[in-house]
Amino acid sequence: MTEPISRFSTVETIGRGVEAAPVLRSGFGLTLGLAMVGAAGRVALPILVQQAIDRGFSTDGDGVNVDVRTVWVLGALALVATTIATFAQRAAVRRLGVRSEEALYGLRVRLFEHIHRLSIADHNEERKGALVARVTSDVETLAMFFSWGALAWLLDGTLMLIVATVMVAYDWVLALVAFVVAAPLGFVLRRVQHHLLRAYERARVDNAEVLTTVSEVVSGAETLRVYGAGPRYAESTKRASARRSKSFVRAGTIGAFLFPSGEVFSVLTVAAVVAVGVVRGPASGLTAGAMVGFVFLTYRFLEPIAEFTEVIDQTQTAVAGLRRVLGVLDLPIGPPEPRHPQALPSGALGIDIEHVTFTYPSRGDDDEGPVLHDVTAHIPAGQQVAMVGETGSGKTTLGRLVARLADPSAGVVRVGGVPLTQVANDELRRRLVVVPQEPFLFEGTIASNLGFARPGLSFDEVEQAVYALDLGDWLEGLPEGLETEVGQRGASLSAGERQLVALVRASLVDPAVLVLDEATSSVDALTEVRLTRALDRLAVGRTTIAIAHRLSTAARADRVLVLDHGRLVQDGPHAELVDQPGPYGRMYAAWVAATSAG
Amino acid sequence: MLEQSVVSTVVVPPVAAESPRHLRDGARLVRLLLRHRQHKVLFATAVGGAVLFAACTVVSSVVIGAITDHIIQPRFVDGHVDASTVVGLLGLLILVGVVRAGGVIVRRTWAGRTNWGVTESLTAEVIDRVVTQPAPWHRRQNTGDVITRAGPDAEAASAVLGPLPYATGTVVLLALAGVWLVVTDLVLGTAAVLVFPVLVVLNVGYQRRVSGYFDRAQAEIGKLSAAVHESFDGVHVVKAFGAEGRETDRLAVIASRLRNARVETVRLRSTFEALIDFAPNLVNIGLVVAGAYRVRSGAMTPGELLSFVFLFTLLVFPLRLIAYALSELPRSQAGWGRIRQLLDEPLEADPAASLEQSVTAEVEIDDVWVSHDSDRSVLCGVSATIASGRTVAVVGATGSGKTTLVHTLAGLVPPTRGRVRVPVDSMALVFQEPFLLASSIRDNVALGAALGDDDIAAALGAAEAAFVHDLPDGLDTVVGERGVGLSGGQRQRIALARALVRRPALLLLDDTTSALDPTTEARVLANLRATLGDTTVVVVASRPSTIALADEVLFLVDGCVMAHGPHEQLLVDNGEYRELMQAFEHDRDGLDADGRSS
Repeated sequence: MTEPISRFSTVETIGRGVEAAPVLRSGFGLTLGLAMVGAAGRVALPILVQQAIDRGFSTDGDGVNVDVRTVWVLGALALVATTIATFAQRAAVRRLGVRSEEALYGLRVRLFEHIHRLSIADHNEERKGALVARVTSDVETLAMFFSWGALAWLLDGTLMLIVATVMVAYDWVLALVAFVVAAPLGFVLRRVQHHLLRAYERARVDNAEVLTTVSEVVSGAETLRVYGAGPRYAESTKRASARRSKSFVRAGTIGAFLFPSGEVFSVLTVAAVVAVGVVRGPASGLTAGAMVGFVFLTYRFLEPIAEFTEVIDQTQTAVAGLRRVLGVLDLPIGPPEPRHPQALPSGALGIDIEHVTFTYPSRGDDDEGPVLHDVTAHIPAGQQVAMVGETGSGKTTLGRLVARLADPSAGVVRVGGVPLTQVANDELRRRLVVVPQEPFLFEGTIASNLGFARPGLSFDEVEQAVYALDLGDWLEGLPEGLETEVGQRGASLSAGERQLVALVRASLVDPAVLVLDEATSSVDALTEVRLTRALDRLAVGRTTIAIAHRLSTAARADRVLVLDHGRLVQDGPHAELVDQPGPYGRMYAAWVAATSAG
Repeated sequence: MLEQSVVSTVVVPPVAAESPRHLRDGARLVRLLLRHRQHKVLFATAVGGAVLFAACTVVSSVVIGAITDHIIQPRFVDGHVDASTVVGLLGLLILVGVVRAGGVIVRRTWAGRTNWGVTESLTAEVIDRVVTQPAPWHRRQNTGDVITRAGPDAEAASAVLGPLPYATGTVVLLALAGVWLVVTDLVLGTAAVLVFPVLVVLNVGYQRRVSGYFDRAQAEIGKLSAAVHESFDGVHVVKAFGAEGRETDRLAVIASRLRNARVETVRLRSTFEALIDFAPNLVNIGLVVAGAYRVRSGAMTPGELLSFVFLFTLLVFPLRLIAYALSELPRSQAGWGRIRQLLDEPLEADPAASLEQSVTAEVEIDDVWVSHDSDRSVLCGVSATIASGRTVAVVGATGSGKTTLVHTLAGLVPPTRGRVRVPVDSMALVFQEPFLLASSIRDNVALGAALGDDDIAAALGAAEAAFVHDLPDGLDTVVGERGVGLSGGQRQRIALARALVRRPALLLLDDTTSALDPTTEARVLANLRATLGDTTVVVVASRPSTIALADEVLFLVDGCVMAHGPHEQLLVDNGEYRELMQAFEHDRDGLDADGRSS
């Protein structure tokens, strides 16, 4: 599925961006004012030229007479103006730059926070890459913009304004001529940019395709090699890379027309200004100096337009990035925090599942029905419950609802008598811990991963927890004990060992409720023994809900909930259910047959 | 300023004086990048465009001077001007402007072609290399690292080429401008030309200082994106422990380091931006004042003086870009270095080459030793003969060398000693972790082989993957990132079909069926027997039911064959084997191991 993109116009998007990063607005008036002063310095030269020609130079029959003193005075004035402008511009650039870095920092932090608070449904495999991209590459397009485009808008925008003002002050007729001749440039640029934008969109898609194919050839290298398919897929990568080159070259070619159109309009405008000036002649009050000054001013006026055109596509990229960033911030955080949270009672907690129905938010045209239908079960505090059922029965979903990784579409889940929607997230996570199917470990040591459970744990406490789950023998067998590095995503440990770490990590929170999504991956026998042992220890005195993939787990539980196509069809202890007619008995019989060796 | 291609480059002679090593390295890099003739031609065309632009820039300022002397001056001071002079000079102004624009279009378009052409060939080279390197090489690599080299590094390496023609054009522009200035007025011209090196040194000095900050910021971005990746990957854990806030804080610290590095850059940059604007303005003011003396003495006309001033205003931006251009060089060099490193690694011996061809489907393993590092042997002297058409279960505790043995048979792991005889041309290995392409199921099964739909369907049937036909597009259903999500068991069955469709003489299964439920697994193994009568099957197994289906068992302990014989016999004869089997049975695998979240 595609990622959410907010559908706002460019202006709205920018407005919302500023709202999301208010630091951009603070003191912006002063920044703008400083930029104006800086821009004013840049018209010092045309004015100097005009003044020098009109006051310093005079022509008589013998040639040009020059009043050197006047030129000196004018030069000194221009120098002062330029110096002031330089300092003002420096301050403006600095203010904008520092504030934009602050803004980007704020935006990144907001994204971290928001993305971490998004519902698990938004963190599915398909979206993971997109979410990372929002915080990294999309924010980077904004950073690029601020270090460049934004600066150009600020400095060039003020420059154009000042230059236009000076032009009108010199001679409004010529100014008007310049504006009218230059105006169509705007239309030309808009057209070119429109094509450019589409071309770059295409190029980006092709670029993503290259990265996908490259990553397949690399990450599937062994498989491709075993099947002798390496060269063939290398060829398809090269084809993707050729397509990418083509579309980037195409976009580049369109982009190549931007600057030159500004150039062509510059000469046309200067020619028009000179022609009109010549026709009107000195009788209209124009002087030679003003004419020359005007030529300079016209270039100064149009120069930023040409530059703008270079910056506009960057701006559009940045707006597109911003739009995606805002799109993520627009995703509702799930499940929402209660406004007036209720405290959970202390001690063991029971769980009440009442008339719970759940439908996954629609993900396209296919009309999938509810995953859970009107499920009701009351689990007293301290009970060990196993949920079983075939793939698609809804047991994993029910586990997620109990852990409040999502809220039911209808019905209510209570923990310790309090509806989950009324429990503050922080408190819930202290009292209820989920051990996922494939536990994730952060790069670092086993100790640092265990410490993740609760900040401020001492090394001794962590070590004690390992022994408390009867895993001392495992710990002692590790090369560096708790200081053993687990590698990227825990890759240096076996799947079973990762589960052991996850169990100890859960125990460190000392939760009243444990939701356990049983692992399916096969684990070697010794680790299996350790896991079972640790789990038994961990479960003591806690309400435990195991999403069981093994019937042995069900057999050991106090109570089994059997789900079938989203309905709770059987509920009772293993011994009772085995002999009842129903899916559980059938599952058990099949399982016994399948697992008996020989 | 701010050309979109602004990123980069190097070979600017004035820089040579500043930094010969820098220039030499840059020039060498460019020569290496432009190895192919067609790229040289593209590049030369781009440079041609840039030179045209440079020439027209100088000519246009001459025309501006002429307009002053021959149109404005006569009209506003003498009162009369020739209409043909007006039309001629303004026409020339327009013509020069249009040609100048054309130069830019040629330069940019062809620079893009050069840049992307080189990127494309670098990507191709890396990919070719990657698919040629054998499995042991791949195992030592960090996947992401290799992907980066084929993708972003290839782009970075050639990025220097995009703006290089522009830089070359700038050098030509400076040279032409210098010549023209000196020829027009020896004194003033020489003085003006002497300013060029000052401006270039200013730019280069800035570039040098800023590149340190820039590198630091880049490094911080790398760290941030790695941390974000990990944090979002571990979102389940983060949520389970209510650690959203803590994770945000942790990432915020990393983000703040990035911000600080960038703010430093901004501070430096603001000073530079201001100075680089100030310097030419200062020169221009000086030119006007000094020029006043030259005009008074009759050495030059006011128009020529204006040409000087005008030309200087045109030089401001090219001079400024030199700094941006240079700042890109380190990135290109780093990208090139990383690519080179990969390409320069010697092509490793393919362990598959040392496999001996067995005529029948027989497998012979003779005193095979494998050690990944010097101290510890993973396999120590394994010998076994497996007759054609037999099914052998490789059994052992974790770390006993089962996977290594199977990978050695597949030619993925080189034996340090001993010989392996297998049907080299007709083997298929199914990995423990199935690798699927983000492509259709048909592509995934065929992996480039020309296979009919019937064959594919039959293989999917034998692999118990008939669920494929229920998917929205059947065989054409796209799986993976942008397609349908499959469960581990489903992915595994597709990987299995990929092997079966080839009707291999030797089928190697590395714990392949453990992700299936026992019933499905039993059916799959029965299907194997039925469809592949003569195929020798070697299966790593940890489930009693699987083991029981094998004709014989190869029991590994710490890399050595402890026993080899029928399961029942081993149960009787070997105490250690019996113990392991009991441990396996201790927790029998469950009924629905498909692991798909329901």
